Amino acid sequence: MKSLRQAAVDRLRAWSARRHGRDTLPITIHRRRIYILPTRFGLMLAALLVAMLIASLNYNSNLALAFAFLMVALALVAMHHCHRNLLALSVDVHAETDAFAGGEACFEFVLRNESRIERSDIQLRFAKDAQSIGSVAGNTHGRVTVCVPVARRGVSLFKQFELRTDHPFGWFRAWTYVQASLTAYVAPAPRGERVIAAAAAAGGTALRAEARGDEDFAGLRSYQPGVSLKHMAWKVLARGGEPMLRSYSGLAANPEWLDWSSLDGLEAEARLSQLCRWVLDSEAAQRPYGLRIPGTELAPACGREHRSACLRALACFGIEAPR
Amino acid sequence: MSSPRGAAQPVAFARLGWICACLGLAMIPHMTALPLWVLGTVGACAALRLFRAAHGRSAPPGLIRTLVAVLAIGLLFLQFRTFNGLTAGTALLSLVAGLKVLETQTRRDIHVLALIVYFLSLAALLHGESFWLLAYLVALVWITTATLLHLSGAALQVDWRSGGRYAGRILAQAAPLALVLWLLFPRFAEPLWQTPSDGRGATGLSDTMSPGDIDELALSDDVAFRVRFADGVPPAKQRYWRGPVLHDFDGHTWRRTDSGPGIAPALLPEGPAYRYTLNIEPNQHNWIFVLDWPSSWDLSRAMLTGDYMLVQTNPISQPIDVVATSYLQVRAAAPLSNGARRRDTQLPPDRNLRTLKFAQQLRAAHPDDMDYVQAVLDMFAQQEFFYTLTPPRLAENSVDEFLFDTKRGFCGHYASAFAMLMRAAGIPARVVTGYQGGAFNRFANYWIVRQSNAHAWDEIWIEGHGWLRIDPTSAVAPQRIEPGLSDLGSAEDRFSGWRHLPWLADMRLRIDALRQLWRDRVLKYDEGAQLKLLGYLRIPEPDGQKLVMVMAGALSLVLGLLAWQIRRELAPLPKDPVLRSFNRLCRKLAAAGMARRQHEGAEAYAARITETRPDLAAAAALCRRYSELRYGESRADAAEFAAAVRALHPRRARA
Repeated sequence: MKSLRQAAVDRLRAWSARRHGRDTLPITIHRRRIYILPTRFGLMLAALLVAMLIASLNYNSNLALAFAFLMVALALVAMHHCHRNLLALSVDVHAETDAFAGGEACFEFVLRNESRIERSDIQLRFAKDAQSIGSVAGNTHGRVTVCVPVARRGVSLFKQFELRTDHPFGWFRAWTYVQASLTAYVAPAPRGERVIAAAAAAGGTALRAEARGDEDFAGLRSYQPGVSLKHMAWKVLARGGEPMLRSYSGLAANPEWLDWSSLDGLEAEARLSQLCRWVLDSEAAQRPYGLRIPGTELAPACGREHRSACLRALACFGIEAPR
Repeated sequence: MSSPRGAAQPVAFARLGWICACLGLAMIPHMTALPLWVLGTVGACAALRLFRAAHGRSAPPGLIRTLVAVLAIGLLFLQFRTFNGLTAGTALLSLVAGLKVLETQTRRDIHVLALIVYFLSLAALLHGESFWLLAYLVALVWITTATLLHLSGAALQVDWRSGGRYAGRILAQAAPLALVLWLLFPRFAEPLWQTPSDGRGATGLSDTMSPGDIDELALSDDVAFRVRFADGVPPAKQRYWRGPVLHDFDGHTWRRTDSGPGIAPALLPEGPAYRYTLNIEPNQHNWIFVLDWPSSWDLSRAMLTGDYMLVQTNPISQPIDVVATSYLQVRAAAPLSNGARRRDTQLPPDRNLRTLKFAQQLRAAHPDDMDYVQAVLDMFAQQEFFYTLTPPRLAENSVDEFLFDTKRGFCGHYASAFAMLMRAAGIPARVVTGYQGGAFNRFANYWIVRQSNAHAWDEIWIEGHGWLRIDPTSAVAPQRIEPGLSDLGSAEDRFSGWRHLPWLADMRLRIDALRQLWRDRVLKYDEGAQLKLLGYLRIPEPDGQKLVMVMAGALSLVLGLLAWQIRRELAPLPKDPVLRSFNRLCRKLAAAGMARRQHEGAEAYAARITETRPDLAAAAALCRRYSELRYGESRADAAEFAAAVRALHPRRARA
């Protein structure tokens, strides 16, 4: 039974994918792509309505008949409201956060509601265990974050996602498929006990710099978003200057190289996990770092974007890049 | 397709409370029909569940629930011996709802409870007929449906007031659709199958009469039926509405054990015929109250019994209308049969001995039948007999006690005693119960006969004339028969009096006129009325098929309007005239190949226009003007800005 339904759902998905082609985000939901069916509560209600009509007709009771028809009309109107709840809503996938194997990959959906009515109980899903629900007030936009558990390192690609709602009364479910890819780069789980090897000449210095701590103040550099607040040059800011970061001599002068080849004696995945650990540690300590793995080399830098690039490189290692 | 906040997730306490309240409200109209223990069980279940929920605990364990279910449903079956029929079905449904409350945990349970509430509401209407009941139940649907809102759970805030407003709006949008369906959906002349008679309270007069029976009715303001006379109205003293005719007397109670000889004897009418329409309220009896001696009626399945009762096979469970013709004076065409004579002179030999003896003495003094009747009536009029609503209770020898000891009675006592005195003297006599009089509603030109008009009188057989009506009560209390006080309504009025205020009486009549209108237009709306409606719509030769076609057309029209109305709310609100003009400007520029980028501010847009399309300098100036108008102080130049935008006709750039 379950598989029968699943088969029907799959066919519908495939048909809808053929029918609408690929979508570009952001997309505004047109009525031609909204599907609607009664839920099982709706089917129960339908059976009840039939019983109500038969009872009223049989008892020849005009009042009961009026009541039964009011319920029928209520269900029909609720159907329109359910359909409308998705209509003309526009969706975008805003940002992906970093994902690690064994954790979750999260996508932030932005629902833009340009009508004055509230869009309630909009469910977003792109896999069986990846769904989330949210509401958007009139003339605003709302964010819904959907997370999916990812077990293994690599690239998770979801070719379509679905918006559904059973607003207002749960008797009907309207849904639409959006044929847009959601890509999650799943970095290896950060793991490993090794210290960063002195691949470059200044490796030892770097270790000492860590031992000495952050006191070796060297100067100011411009602010980059994502940097730990510890490194903010608050005094500069307080004087009314630009936001600046304090930098430290040991770090600025001697970039670390996180090197694949320095991890002899480890399996590939274990190496990647160790490298991932190092990336996170170096980033947290605001030490510029470069990544060197077979086929890829990222020059030493610091900051959120660099970190993401490194993690993505680790995720994609040995895997064909997705389209 | 399960969802994380799906059917299995526990629902909040408030939600549980609301649905329990809805269930309670749905059971109120069934209060009188349901056994007390069913109400108690449902209440206890709800209380137990709410108590547990308030302490953060889940539903009681399955074993307890099963035990309660088996016990309750078993008990119900023992009581009703069936689950068929409205009362038993309602009781069963209520019990199931109670048990469901007990295990209510998830969204699905709330849905099931809501469905039960809907069906209980409908069941209340199957025999209901009041406008207020319908209004009450629609309000209940409103609350129940609002409870279902946001059940799947991500509302910005669960605010009962806005939820109620939203559910109310949906209900209001449903109303026109429901109206079209109700007006045009084809009605069946006959029910699909015979509904089991469920013993739902028969009201009004029954076919037995003990002393004191009618007194209770006399306090009731309920309407028995309403009458519209076609031409002449019989005088008030003559308006006797005949109901059950009682023949069998055991010394205390008059009964109608069988209807006697089947065919009504022929009668020779005298005097004028009266044509009238009866609007009878459902009373679950199968006799129809008609004016004295009916000669024709328009109910195909009704017939006259040997003692001139109009009887149909099915009890009256829905309001019905009867058009009938009656005569007030008739003469028997044939003599009384021996069987009938024997039946109507029979008395229990060992009861009411004092009365028997008294009757023999009186008969000896008055050998002529009419003299004897007059002597009895004179006795009632001249001795210390009182007409009272609250007579003393009487035991087995009720007539003896009444005639010689208490001497206080209501119409039933007099009719009973009189018939007994007649029979004791060998004159065939029978007791007739029914209604007498009625109040005129001058606002809508009909007569209201209430339960308080219930009355009992006698018919005696006089040789050479036939059955003659004698009303012994009139000898004691002529005001009971004469029009006047009694027209104001119940017997209570005559004794208490505060309701005599004329404006109050007027208001009651007006309300009754409305009720009659409701009955005629709504409760009695049927196929004939539907075809008449098609006639008003100028549809030639209306029939059932055209009705369905008109319904389909009207439904699509209403549904289309509805869809349009619902979608219209999606349009963004064009709040600001300045913004509206700016949007118009952007549309014009887009047509000219210079579309504004999403999230591009007006200033940036203007700069870009100046840079890339110098020919559109005027448009760029308008964009800057917009920025000033929108974010600056002055709003006064909105009209001027709108005119400037309207006057602008940007051209496409030449390639």
